[in-house]
Amino acid sequence: MSNADAVRDSIYRSCMYKDDMKWQEWLDLCDEDFQYSITAYSPEIRNDMIYLSGDREEMRGMMKMLPKHNTDHSPLKRHCSVYAVDLEDDGSMATAVSSVVVYQTQLDGINSHVDAGESKVFLVGRYFDKFRISDGVAKFVEREVKLDTRKLDKGSHYPI
Amino acid sequence: MARSRNHEQWTSPPPFTQEEYVDSRIYSDQDIFEEELEKIFKKSWIPVCHESELPEPYDFRTTTIAKEPIILTRAKDGKVRAFLNVCPHRGNMLERAPSGSFLDGSPSGNPRHITCMFHAWQFDMKGRCVYISRQEEGYQDRLKKSQMGLRELKCEVYFGGFVWVTLNDQIDMTVEEWSAGSLEVLKPSLDEEPLEVFHYHKAIIPCNYKLWHDTNCEFYHDYLHYHNRITGFNDAYFARKNTGFDNGHINVGSFEVQYDNYEGSHSREEISFPHLPPNHWYMIDMFPGVNFNLRGSSLRCDIMTPLGPNEVMIEFRGLGLKNDDAVTRRSRIDHHNSIWGPFGRNLHEDLLAVTGQGSAMNPRAENRQILHGRHENETIHDENGMRHFYEEWGRWMDRMPSNPDKPFVERTTATSATG
Ligand code: FES
Ligand SMILES: [Fe+2]
Repeated sequence: MSNADAVRDSIYRSCMYKDDMKWQEWLDLCDEDFQYSITAYSPEIRNDMIYLSGDREEMRGMMKMLPKHNTDHSPLKRHCSVYAVDLEDDGSMATAVSSVVVYQTQLDGINSHVDAGESKVFLVGRYFDKFRISDGVAKFVEREVKLDTRKLDKGSHYPI
Repeated sequence: MARSRNHEQWTSPPPFTQEEYVDSRIYSDQDIFEEELEKIFKKSWIPVCHESELPEPYDFRTTTIAKEPIILTRAKDGKVRAFLNVCPHRGNMLERAPSGSFLDGSPSGNPRHITCMFHAWQFDMKGRCVYISRQEEGYQDRLKKSQMGLRELKCEVYFGGFVWVTLNDQIDMTVEEWSAGSLEVLKPSLDEEPLEVFHYHKAIIPCNYKLWHDTNCEFYHDYLHYHNRITGFNDAYFARKNTGFDNGHINVGSFEVQYDNYEGSHSREEISFPHLPPNHWYMIDMFPGVNFNLRGSSLRCDIMTPLGPNEVMIEFRGLGLKNDDAVTRRSRIDHHNSIWGPFGRNLHEDLLAVTGQGSAMNPRAENRQILHGRHENETIHDENGMRHFYEEWGRWMDRMPSNPDKPFVERTTATSATG
């Protein structure tokens, strides 16, 4: 597998793990100094915003606490297309830009008798990722989820 | 076999006074909703944004109150003014963007003017009509620009830079008078130095706006939030006072939040607001649907725009101090988002709960009584805040919240015998 393929593989695997709520497996794709953030630009306040952020341990902690929280258990599924992978000359680092659409399939968010099973677009945005590559494995060192969607209604406890 | 509660038992009044419960029809009835827009939302002062959202001359911001589109401008004199965002020619909405600047010209008009794109009438930042295309050819001397200004609304910048607007020309109160003392507890913290909005997002939720306001007014629902139970629930927490003010406003006193008790969370003691002791938390809920919430290092403001009996738009803002350095600002943002962001611990839980109320209170449903009957010495889990709100609501609507078909009757000591 080429280094660019290794990057794509990590991106798609991260989607799969998060879709399946395998948070530990997702974080295992990330390097120790991993930084996660969800950001958006607001045309209302004309400013860049951060909606969520954390390093690997903080994300791990947040996921660990989930069972203590009331939450909308409607699953999120990510549809992702990797648009561009750029490798550094020595092949040790890479950046990638992907498009992402997240669908939510209602389970218990509203009135399950009526809504359960209905899928809707939850949000759209892009992934801006940075990787460290060694021995053909691309590990995330940074993921910025840049959202277009800013009307997030009930929101979510799940990372995107 | 006896049922736990049959129809008659379910629909008969609870063992409370009339002020201690409300009829769920006030959350679902279309006529009551329309009446609320007319009698309440078109009559009161509503904060619509923060002045930092239109910082420079020629900046604008658009919004709505009670379905009326509104545009705010900042003129060269630095003053923020509010107008109906409606062209006096044939009623087109003047500006469609949420915010921006009129410094540059638009495709139909000149720089520094509000231009209606339809037939190119132009207005200045003070709302004066300054250009009517082919005026003399079409109107001869029958119509003057001076007659075609924008409809200007009363507008004030007050309380840490929030911009307040009212559709009510007859209102006889300033915002300060309207607030009736409810804002005093946070004024020193918010007025010491300029603030800036760092967070904005909105939610459209299938519930009545009052259900969201109720959630902001009562802390009994901290049972919903693991975060608040573990960082709160101690003697100081249970001693927090709930205080009512004129015009239906309330506020909730502070205590020191033990942020460290939540795994992965950190004390906010290094970053606060002027005059706010570290890790403290004050809450103000203003009639009819505004919330200011200062928690440690960040200020949250919710503004509610009712869209239907079972639909509300809530705009969430987070604010810090304008002169924050980058590191301080980043901490404020992280603190704010970890609880109140769209992916935060608490906001999602609150929104889930009111969604649940909304989906269980359909019009013509078998009547529900919504209980507001807790009395705990006007402390944090007392429901006096909601009772105070509904008393005011009843007055403005001339309807009893516990039976909206009946005209409002002022509370007497006799009716609150069990109170
Ligand atoms: S409607 Fe605005 S110029 Fe005609
Ligand atoms: Fe809450």
